[in-house]
Amino acid sequence: MKYVVETKNLTKSFGKEQAVQSLDMKIAKGEIYGFLGPNGAGKTTTIRMLLGLMKPTSGSIQVFQQDLKKSRISILSKVGSLVENPSYYPHLTARENLEAWRKILGAPKSRITDVLAIVRLSDVANKKVKGFSLGMKQRLGIAAALLNNPELLILDEPTNGLDPSGIIEIRELIKQLPQSHGMTVLISSHLLSEIDQLATTVGVLTKGKLIFQDSIEAMRKLAKQNISLRVSDQDEAHRLLLAKGIQTDYQKDRLILSEFTDEEIANAIQFLVQKQIAIYRVEEEKRSLEDIFLQMTREDQVG
Amino acid sequence: MIRKLIQVEFLKSKRKGFWLLVFLGGFGVVALQMVNYGVRKEYLLQQSDNDWIYYLMNISNFTPLALVLGIAILTSFMTSIENETNAWKQLIALPVSKLTVYLAKFTVLAFMLLVASLLLTLFTYGYGVFLDLGAIPYGALLKYSFYPFFASLPILALQLWIATVSNNQAIPITTGVIGVLPSFSAQNLPDWLIWKWPSLMNSWNEPIYYVWLGLGVGCLLYFVGMFDFARRDVK
Ligand SMILES: Nc1ncnc2c1ncn2[C@@H]1O[C@H](COP(=O)(O)OP(=O)(O)OP(=O)(O)O)[C@@H](O)[C@H]1O
Ligand SMILES: [Mg+2]
Repeated sequence: MKYVVETKNLTKSFGKEQAVQSLDMKIAKGEIYGFLGPNGAGKTTTIRMLLGLMKPTSGSIQVFQQDLKKSRISILSKVGSLVENPSYYPHLTARENLEAWRKILGAPKSRITDVLAIVRLSDVANKKVKGFSLGMKQRLGIAAALLNNPELLILDEPTNGLDPSGIIEIRELIKQLPQSHGMTVLISSHLLSEIDQLATTVGVLTKGKLIFQDSIEAMRKLAKQNISLRVSDQDEAHRLLLAKGIQTDYQKDRLILSEFTDEEIANAIQFLVQKQIAIYRVEEEKRSLEDIFLQMTREDQVG
Repeated sequence: MIRKLIQVEFLKSKRKGFWLLVFLGGFGVVALQMVNYGVRKEYLLQQSDNDWIYYLMNISNFTPLALVLGIAILTSFMTSIENETNAWKQLIALPVSKLTVYLAKFTVLAFMLLVASLLLTLFTYGYGVFLDLGAIPYGALLKYSFYPFFASLPILALQLWIATVSNNQAIPITTGVIGVLPSFSAQNLPDWLIWKWPSLMNSWNEPIYYVWLGLGVGCLLYFVGMFDFARRDVK
C-alpha cells in the first residue's frame, strides 16, 4: 500500500512531557482522514510536524513517499494547510493576503478569485481582514489552503468559529474534494459528530497516543448492538435464560443481551414466552459513535 | 525565490507606516539643524573656518540616534507583521526555506535604512546649499550619510534576530531602547560596543574602520541569527 502520509514512531517531547508518542499514522490516497482527540491530545503538534513547522524528537515522516526532512520544499508545494487559529495580515485586504501567499506558491493569479468564490468571500475581497468576523477569517484560511490546488489538504479544526450553515457548507466542500480534485484530506477535530459524515478513515489520539486507526465502518462495527428486554418477572427470566446457557446483563429494570444474532434473540424470546413470562418491551440500544469515541478516550485515561 | 519573497515583504509592509518612518528618519536629523541654524546661524558660522564640515558634524551628532532608534522600530514593525496573528506558521508551511524568509526580511530592512541614508544625504545637501556654506565637500557629505549605515549593520542583524525568536516582544523593544543610549555618550564607551559604531568615533580616529567592522560583524551576526531562526520550531 502506498500512503500519502506515513509516520513511523513519530514522537515529540516538550521537556519531560511527551505530546506525541510513537505515532504510526497512515493515510492512503483519496482518503478523508478524521483525526480525532480531546483537547491537548497532540493533534496540532502532529500536524505541525507534518508541515515541517516543528522538528520531531524522534521518528520519521514520509509524505508522498518522500522524506519530509530531505524534501520539505517539494512536498509543501503540493500541500495546503490551515493550522489552529487562522493566520492573516490584518492591515491587508482578503485579496492582498491571498496574493502574498500566492506569489510564494507560484499559483496563477486567477486562482485568487476562484478560491474567494469557493469560500464565499468574493463580496469582501477588497475589505481589510481586520474587520472580518472569526468565521470569515476561518474561510480566508481555508481559501489560502486551497490556493495551490493541493494534493494533500491538512485542516486543523477548520470549522472552528463557523456558524451551523457555514459548517455544513465547508463540510460539503471538503466531502467532494477527493472525487473532484483527487485530493487527500487530513482533518482534525475534537468532535466525532463533526467528521462522522465526512471521514472515510479515523485516527483517534489521546494523550499523544494513537489508540485507534481504521475505516469509519470498522469504528461503526464497534457500536455493538444491544437488545434490552423488559419482562413481567425479571428474576425468573434471568434464571431461566442462564439455565439455558444464555448470558444476560441484569440491570435495574431490564435485561441486556449483547452480541446475539437475530435468530438467537428470537429463540430466547420464544423460550421465555413458553415459560409464561410476559414480554413488555424488546428494544435495540445503539451506542452512538460519539459514545464509542468518548469511551475509547476515557478507557485510555483510566488505564 | 528570494525575489518573490522580497516582493511579498514589500506587499506586507503596505499601510504599516514603514515609509513614513524612513522619511522622518532622514528628514528629522536635518530638521533639527534647520531649527539650530534657523535660531543661531550667525553664532554657528563663527564657530569654525569650514562651515560645511561644521554643519556636517552637527548633523552627524544625531544620525546615530535616528539610525539606532529607526532599526529598533523598523525591525519591531517587521516582525509584528508575522507575530500579530502568528502568521509565521502560515508562511513557513509554504514551500519556502526558512533561510530565505529571514534573508528577505533582512534585505527589506537594510534597503529601507539605505533609503533613509539616501534621504539624509539629499536633505543635508539641500539645506547646506540653502545655508550657502561655500564649496560643497561631496566626499564628507557621503561619508557622514552612509558610513553610519554600514556601521549599524550589526545592530540591525542583532535586533532582527532577537525580534524574530523572542516570544515576548518586550525583549527586542528593551534591547532596542538600551541600544539608543550609547549614541548620547559615544566618546566614553569602549570601541568594541557595536552600539557605539554608528557614531563613527573610535580611538584610531578612522571612521572607515567601523564600516569594515560593521560589514564583517554584521554578516556574522546575520548568519548566527538566520541559523538560529531556522533551527527553532516555528511559533
Ligand atoms: N510549543 C509548545 N511548548 C510546550 N508544550 C506544548 C507546545 N505545543 C504544545 N504543547 C503541549 O502539547 C500537548 C498537545 O498539544 P496540542 O496543541 O497538540 O493538542 P491538540 O490535540 O491540538 O488540542 P486542541 O484540541 O486543544 O487543539 C499539550 O499538552 C500542550 O500543552
Ligand atoms: Mg489543536
